[in-house]
Amino acid sequence: MNIFEKIEAIVEASGSGAITEYFDKDQKAIGYFCSYIPEEVIHAAGFVPYRMRAVGSRGTQKGDVYFASINCTFVRNCFDKVLHGDFSFLQGVVILNGCDHTRRIYDNWRHADVAPQFRYMFTAPHVINDLSKTEFTREISAFITALEENFKITIKEESLKESIRLYNRKRTLLKMIYDLRKEEKVPIHGSELLKIILAVTAIPVEKAIALLEEVFEACRDRKVNTDNDLRLFISSGCMEEPEHLELIEECGAVIVADNLCLGSRHFDTLVDENLEPPRALAERYLTHLSCPRMMNAFSDRLQYVNSIRSEFKVDAVIIEKLKFCDLWGGEIFITRREAAAREFPLLALERELYGKDKGQIKTRIQAFFEQVRNNQEIKDELFTV
Amino acid sequence: MAPARKNKKLKPYHMLRLTRVLLYVVFFLSKVPRFTTILLTILRPFYVPLKETWINKKLRWGLLTFGAGRIPPDVLKAYGYGAKAVLENINEVLKAEKNNEPIVWVEWILNAELLEAFNVTSFNPAVLNVFGNVYGAEGPSSLIAEAERQGIPVEYCSAMKCDMGAWMLEQIPKPTLTIVGSHPCDTNVSINQSLEYLMEIPSFIIDIPYWKEAYSYEYVGKQVWEQINFLEKHLDRKIDWRKMEEMMQRINKFNSYLTEITEMHRAIPCPGSHFNLVFAWVIRELNVRSPYALKMAEHLHRAIEKRYKKGKGVIKKEKIRVLLWFPPIAFFTHIFNWMQDEFGAVIVADFIGNVSTVHVDTSSHDSIIRDFARTQMHLAMGRQCHGPVEFITNEMEEAMDAYNVDCMIFTGHQGCKHGWAALKIIQDICKKRNLPTLYLSIDIMDQRYLDEQGVRNEITGFFQDQGWA
Repeated sequence: MNIFEKIEAIVEASGSGAITEYFDKDQKAIGYFCSYIPEEVIHAAGFVPYRMRAVGSRGTQKGDVYFASINCTFVRNCFDKVLHGDFSFLQGVVILNGCDHTRRIYDNWRHADVAPQFRYMFTAPHVINDLSKTEFTREISAFITALEENFKITIKEESLKESIRLYNRKRTLLKMIYDLRKEEKVPIHGSELLKIILAVTAIPVEKAIALLEEVFEACRDRKVNTDNDLRLFISSGCMEEPEHLELIEECGAVIVADNLCLGSRHFDTLVDENLEPPRALAERYLTHLSCPRMMNAFSDRLQYVNSIRSEFKVDAVIIEKLKFCDLWGGEIFITRREAAAREFPLLALERELYGKDKGQIKTRIQAFFEQVRNNQEIKDELFTV
Repeated sequence: MAPARKNKKLKPYHMLRLTRVLLYVVFFLSKVPRFTTILLTILRPFYVPLKETWINKKLRWGLLTFGAGRIPPDVLKAYGYGAKAVLENINEVLKAEKNNEPIVWVEWILNAELLEAFNVTSFNPAVLNVFGNVYGAEGPSSLIAEAERQGIPVEYCSAMKCDMGAWMLEQIPKPTLTIVGSHPCDTNVSINQSLEYLMEIPSFIIDIPYWKEAYSYEYVGKQVWEQINFLEKHLDRKIDWRKMEEMMQRINKFNSYLTEITEMHRAIPCPGSHFNLVFAWVIRELNVRSPYALKMAEHLHRAIEKRYKKGKGVIKKEKIRVLLWFPPIAFFTHIFNWMQDEFGAVIVADFIGNVSTVHVDTSSHDSIIRDFARTQMHLAMGRQCHGPVEFITNEMEEAMDAYNVDCMIFTGHQGCKHGWAALKIIQDICKKRNLPTLYLSIDIMDQRYLDEQGVRNEITGFFQDQGWA
């Protein structure tokens, strides 16, 4: 079994308690929902931070009892799994006030009263400034206390520092792998990278590091793109289906950069190892590449797209949202106008998680790629003339 | 990158000017409340019949909103003061726009009182969410449609789409600065970024925390101090503490009157129409800075207290006591009077009109800002929607008990993702209490989803099912 097959096996197991096969003996996990929740704290408490997901979803039938049709398919699929007991292997779950859909998971989980019993609402500010960083530092300290009190443990500063060091190593490795895609010869598909992140957010960080080192080595002499492939940047909120990215790449492209929860947002920016841990974590988690829930950071996100476009020689941008997601809907509105002003090709897609609309999506992507290529040819001809 | 703000059909500020005409009419008629009540009653056949016609299009909603002759003269007088408060603001805004003077948008569910201490024109961009109906039934829908046409997500809450559409169609003025908040929902969080991007003006964001703990209030308090620095910097003027203190004293009285009315509505029979409190909320949102807003609250209080002391109800025979939960329907403000007339059903409490806030201690600058910050988290909708579901359900259950309600009407608003995601919990509470509940699926601003007739049908059916009609 090569490293990529190993990763696939982990991803497949990651939707349920089967993932514990990859844990050390007696290791337990705590689930968390968003890239604003510090994994280091969960790790320092002696648990494996497990990124919540709907992988292996049976549908939304049970989830729909709690969530309405105007709620996104991520929460509906995910809560369906909660009600099926797929997450009963967890010792606790940490939810974030990330959006209006996910914050009600906290309420509905308590109301449904299914395992696990420890359900914690971790909150993050909606702005990035000095005041909010101080507030977020307090929140992280409160989270540490809550874990200590609930599990009758003590989280020592040294443990937190060690966790920070380990997670920084994981981030560094991920960035090294991501950066390989700056070259003409792209060694890894976007869909493969999504699988890697799905894997490393479900297993112990020590094993994740070993896995990533192996991936990095495997990428050395690898090339997955053809000369005709378009180089893509993809931006979205919840995206956990590698097959969706495969569909995009099979239409004649290679994804070279992203702004995804399970992508760059997971590893962007290291934690300062010289600062006091709660403050250092607050700084990193609040200032990493943001998602549209952060109200005063849209210009930074636009700037990020623009800088990545030149750094990774991006031909086209795809931005996606799940239906009924206000936050990414607004981001699409702004990005569309920015694309028109800066004249870069953009496709905005709206879809359902694990939806049945593959055919439609494929047609739209094919048409978009054709348009991009036509425009490139026209430009080339103009230059030739 | 600003969009073109133009429209062939609508002249700039047309809807705002129509609103002004309506408010002038109400203000002047409220001077002769008895005569007005008789006049509105005599004229009822021209606007009370369900359908909007080309004759009554510009009048119907306004006349229904201001009671259709069903509002007692003393309450109508109070409404006149409320109308005057909004009129003052619209006139000031149009004057500021003409003279190129600063206008500060203060988003709904935030307090504009601080602006009083800066002697600057404030404006609530949501004014046409309610008063856009003076243009006719398609007023707010046309604003929403424009926002959607320009790419604003369809699934957004229509209240914010209205703001955006009104600005895009130049029905409300462009601000110099904006004060916005992160509650009560994702649409707020999202659309304010789009507005800032389009308008390219400085914006101050108040980050409302999830919980209501001591540290949450402290965090908002610190932000208010930052807000003062922001306003001093961008308006190039210092805060006037004397004015701030006066404003806080006024707001304390205003809140105290409305809190007492909220409490008096517990009485059986209910002494006033709950629309009074909803109307007061609208006036609070639009221009609580005006001394006329306080005058309105004072007169409303006097009128309700009189009936409360006599043990008189708002209608002769109160048959059904209704809790209206979630935002009321902006295009069907007449629902309160209609239910009273048709079924003897009195809405005794609701999500928005019920006032529950904190008193501002005006003894020092620190205490003013500390308590003013707290009030930001206690305005209706804001106080219920930003945190866990208990912020909604505890208040709902308290209202069920305190107001002796016979049933509940839940106005499930289309854009409200977190509201719909809490529905199962709300349903289970009502089931456990054996409380008959109507779950309306509606858009409170946009009649294209379910119109006035549809709402009437649903409510009639519900009362018939209960054997009450």
